Amino acid sequence: MQHTVSTNDAFENLRLELRRGCLILAVLAQLGTEHYGYALRKALASRGMEIDENTLYPLLRRLESQGLLISEWREEDKRNKRFYRLSGEGDRILHQLLEEWRSINSSLTRIVEGEAVVSG
Amino acid sequence: MELLNRYLHAVRFWLPKAQQEDIIAELGEDLRSQIEDRETQLGHPLDDDGIAAVLKQRGNPMVVASRYLPRHSLIGPALFPVYQFILRLVILWILPPVFILVVGPAAILSSRHPSLALIETLWTMLMAAVFAFGVITLIFAALERYPHESTLRWDPRRLPRVPPAKPANRPQPVPGYMAIVEVLAGIGASLVWIEVMYWTRIAQGFDFDGVSITLTPIWRGFFWPILLVALSGVPIGLMGWLRPWWMRARSLARLAVDGVSLILTGALVNMGPWVRVTAANLPATGVADANRWANVGMSIGLGVASIIILVDAVQEVRRLVRQKPAGSSIPIAVRR
Repeated sequence: MQHTVSTNDAFENLRLELRRGCLILAVLAQLGTEHYGYALRKALASRGMEIDENTLYPLLRRLESQGLLISEWREEDKRNKRFYRLSGEGDRILHQLLEEWRSINSSLTRIVEGEAVVSG
Repeated sequence: MELLNRYLHAVRFWLPKAQQEDIIAELGEDLRSQIEDRETQLGHPLDDDGIAAVLKQRGNPMVVASRYLPRHSLIGPALFPVYQFILRLVILWILPPVFILVVGPAAILSSRHPSLALIETLWTMLMAAVFAFGVITLIFAALERYPHESTLRWDPRRLPRVPPAKPANRPQPVPGYMAIVEVLAGIGASLVWIEVMYWTRIAQGFDFDGVSITLTPIWRGFFWPILLVALSGVPIGLMGWLRPWWMRARSLARLAVDGVSLILTGALVNMGPWVRVTAANLPATGVADANRWANVGMSIGLGVASIIILVDAVQEVRRLVRQKPAGSSIPIAVRR
């Protein structure tokens, strides 16, 4: 029983680590369309990428400080909301990250299926 | 929404001033959206309990605020193992022996209120540990921010050599030269003891500049036992030299001598005074102080001797446990 519990904990920790690596890519990809924070979180969740609020907002601020996002406050439904969208630099980085992700995905597929990597 | 405002105010406290308004505005908006969604699902407005549940799910205000702060570590993962090692070394292996073997006995034996002196010693040791913790932490925090070039540049060729592997759990016979040293030490210790007690003026007093230090009469009762303990080094050393494979017998003999030594030092520690200081040219208070400090030194010496004997006894017990019973074949490597 104890072994099962610790195995579950180990899986959960590793699963979170795996997902954490993909969050930035998911957020940048979703912000190809403008969203405010709450709507962004719901959009990601509806596509299977749950993200904690306490992770999302600091991440958005960090990406903005790195010049990958642009934000502005606007009134919507009589409430002030902060809308985020990709900057030009963010769009460029997104495409680079997607390439990288596809490359990792291919490598992993080859590893799992036991194929040798042919270089050159 | 009074509860929400209180929550936002609590989060604001922990945020950097320059970003407070911005972060609180966004956080407040997110929480209001979440509350609205919940109310839509339930079909009625949330009461304070409902809002409290939403806020509780978001998390402690301090924790929520901390996610917006840059991640700093006082001592990073690279230096932390070294920091931990130094801290353990100082607080567990340096401070306690110093206080238990030197500072404590000196304070207790020289005090008119030994129990009070013990408490003061323990308190001082605790304060010393806290101070050491603070200094070591500051040093490593400084090293984290201003790394020394030795941590950045290193040469694999300067790493220490790997020590030769010891055979696992196999006790080794005493080397020949050590056995000879043991014989000579036994003879030497016996002669010194006889010299101390009978043949020189130390037994009657060691004089210099009008100050005389003598052993008190209690030592005479210990003359023969101490002499026998000193002489025991001779046969044990000879055994180690001529019959090095008699490891079990040697360990048993050493253990017996250690036992007798512990009994003797234990008996001596409970007696006292051990030395007497007289001085014609010192006032009475000065002589009293000199006597007190001389005996404090003797008590510390006896305490240290007891610990050394105890450590030796423990090592012999470990050797005995690891050895095979008597009658095993002579290892070829130790035949001479």
